[in-house]
Amino acid sequence: MFRIHKVTGDSMSPDFQQGDFVLIATADFVRKRLKVGDVIIFEHKLYGTLIKRIASFDPETAEAYIEGTRHDSLSSLRLGTIRRDAIRGKVIVHISKP
Amino acid sequence: MIYQFLNKLDEKLHFEQAQAHCDIPCGIYDPTPAQIDALTVVRMMDLMAELVKGEDKGNVAFHNSMERYVAVKEEHAEKAKNEIRVIWGDYFKKDKHPNVDDLVHKIMQLGSKVRQTADREAGLEFVAAINEFAEAFWKTKDVKTKKAKAPYAPALEMVYPDL
Repeated sequence: MFRIHKVTGDSMSPDFQQGDFVLIATADFVRKRLKVGDVIIFEHKLYGTLIKRIASFDPETAEAYIEGTRHDSLSSLRLGTIRRDAIRGKVIVHISKP
Repeated sequence: MIYQFLNKLDEKLHFEQAQAHCDIPCGIYDPTPAQIDALTVVRMMDLMAELVKGEDKGNVAFHNSMERYVAVKEEHAEKAKNEIRVIWGDYFKKDKHPNVDDLVHKIMQLGSKVRQTADREAGLEFVAAINEFAEAFWKTKDVKTKKAKAPYAPALEMVYPDL
């Protein structure tokens, strides 16, 4: 139902910083009700486990387009769309590094 | 306090990491290749115009050169469009640079026009629009720009970062 992840990298800065912890909800009903603006953790076959924000959804396939916060963040132009079954969960609690 | 508790727990349990990945290579974007591609397009147009003014029209050498100029023009127009698309899509953010969308659309249309035609005016507009894009790009990096003529034909005025 829930998992804790530690954030590495800066592409979600300043919202999420290196070293922050996030609690994600992994239940199916949460992953099926994702909306634009939600921060998700998902699996990418090339880049591994990533944290990004949902920018939009493909109207036909319902796959998610994602984005980071920074200019140089990997976006869907490089990563492709994110299939629903690759999404591990939605960030529901953010514990910032002091 | 919660953070310290989680951090201690992390030392024992090693929570899985979620990467907020940046581009690889991280953040390396530069509009210069697109500018050179656009210049190449105009250069090919000039070479094509020179060729048809010559006396050897109709022979094999003429057709060989013309084919090559057209092919290079096609290739570099498309390269320029792709370079701009990548910077626009991966680097610029819509909310922070709303005016870039119109400029990129203009560049895409001009890029198609210079492929379809040998219209030098369109070529000059293509170069100017990509220069404008370069100026906007360097501004986001707080890098000043300067204008100077390219030190090679067609020697058009270009925008360079003043580093």
